[in-house]
Amino acid sequence: MENTRTLTFEEPSFAKRIKGMLGVDFYRLFHTPLFYIFLAIAAVIPAMILGMTSMENAEGVVEPLYTNTWQVIAAGEPLYAIKNIADYANMNMVFIFGGIMVSIFIGHDYKSGYVKQLFTTHAKKEDYMLSKTAIGAFSMVCMCITYLLGTIVAGLFVQASFKVRVGGLFCAILGKMLMSLGWASLYVFLNIIFRKYFGISIASSFFFGTGILIVGVAAAAGNTPMLNVFLYGSSVYACLSANLLSVAVCLGVSVAWAAIYNVLGTVILSKCDVY
Amino acid sequence: MNAIEIRNLSKSFRGMYAVNGLKMRVPVGAIYGFIGENGSGKSTTEKLICGHLVPDGGEILLFGKPYTDAGVRAKIGALIENAGCFPSSSVYANLKMQALNLGLENPDEEIARVLKIVRMEDSANIKFKSCSLGMKQRIGIAMALLGEPALLILDEPINGLDTDGMRIMREILVDITKTYGCTVLISSHILGELEKIATHYGIIRQGRMVQELTAKEMESRARVFTSLKTADMQGAKAVLREKFPSVREEDGYLRVYDVDETENIVAHLLDNGHTVSEVKKNKIGLEEYYIELMSKKENEDYGKHAHVNV
Repeated sequence: MENTRTLTFEEPSFAKRIKGMLGVDFYRLFHTPLFYIFLAIAAVIPAMILGMTSMENAEGVVEPLYTNTWQVIAAGEPLYAIKNIADYANMNMVFIFGGIMVSIFIGHDYKSGYVKQLFTTHAKKEDYMLSKTAIGAFSMVCMCITYLLGTIVAGLFVQASFKVRVGGLFCAILGKMLMSLGWASLYVFLNIIFRKYFGISIASSFFFGTGILIVGVAAAAGNTPMLNVFLYGSSVYACLSANLLSVAVCLGVSVAWAAIYNVLGTVILSKCDVY
Repeated sequence: MNAIEIRNLSKSFRGMYAVNGLKMRVPVGAIYGFIGENGSGKSTTEKLICGHLVPDGGEILLFGKPYTDAGVRAKIGALIENAGCFPSSSVYANLKMQALNLGLENPDEEIARVLKIVRMEDSANIKFKSCSLGMKQRIGIAMALLGEPALLILDEPINGLDTDGMRIMREILVDITKTYGCTVLISSHILGELEKIATHYGIIRQGRMVQELTAKEMESRARVFTSLKTADMQGAKAVLREKFPSVREEDGYLRVYDVDETENIVAHLLDNGHTVSEVKKNKIGLEEYYIELMSKKENEDYGKHAHVNV
């Protein structure tokens, strides 16, 4: 019964390894309803924000909180400490829903046991971190796009103003899209920590995605640009008054956190049992 | 060269050792039957080999290289506990993902090839969750076979299967080793089935290797015995004892162990006035060998324990 063949073990290059891992993740992403559901959610959020947010003014008259369509994309100024929902509810909401999506996506790896196949054939744990971060960032960028389209449609529907400084709007959207990388790496990291607890993974992604910790710090310390070093801070910094510097800050902060979370996640996966 | 070589491997969970100083050698091309009771450390060992668990100590070499070597690991196929498939995806989609993961150049051809091996050519479009247990196990093997692995690790692939499922699985495993020449590490409780395919055995108990032997060694160590029935079992037993010391009454038969002289046994009984209604010559199988070995080990442990208590 014994039958042997010539065995050669070629070390796969980084490009081959990551191509394999990304291949699986993109195939899964495009073949799962989850992705399209979250794209639809992202498109609907602006309509809900525009149509449902209103506030009683000093005279007791109920007025809409958002008078300009682009306020749904970003606040006019970087406001870390929020006074009302209009300072808070904008394209940053994508990062909350994106976090939930990433958690479900990674959670299914573990629930189905597919992660065993990945870790059996991929000895290098950084492949997993990089691939999941890339797929998470890509999903959130797509959600930003559907959010933008939803905003335009909702703005037209409620006949809100479209007046804006185009450069600022462009930099705000670009900045937020760049932040997707950092946010995705945070969610992947959280899911690595809580990999055995699906519910806690989702809850933690939601908790950190809201930026409530930074909002809390800002409430105590005030609107300080120091908060830009955090993911939520930079996401807020990508506002309608943004410029190329804001974009550079977003890029730098996002890449730095992505690197930190990827290194930490890789260390955890290498030192701990993965399944 | 050994496909797997394990030296003093240990793994504990919350202070309890699941694998404790394990030594193991699986030659290249072998079908290695990995045997042990529940909780003996089989699955833990397999997960350690696949890199799912981090060992506390020891060394794992695969084809002479550390188990963390990316080149070697890319050539491992595993079915551990379950197939590891997405339930809502089709059989094809699950295989496609694994083919992409491995970076195969012709994924569709590869998928068709492995589906043929596991006799599931017509089931590619079925959703994984709609498959029977037997089908799921076969899909798990198909997943593991993608990319022509050099080492296949199968954790209890026969468990829960019906007779037909077991037969198909056995045929598949024999096919794989005959045609593709890959080394197979297979753990199972169903020793009768394992006996039909394994070329080597490793018996593990309490996280330690109790014995490793080839199928040929197992064959040579297997005890022969003659089973017989007479009208007066007790009388016949006493008579047989005069000439053959290892006589036992088991399962309604008198068993004369370690003597390959059926004619002499029957003649001795007839000479002493006992008629024989049924007689057959047997050999102890893997299952009985395993049970005997385990009870011997248990007695040894009990003896050690008793000695310590004294």
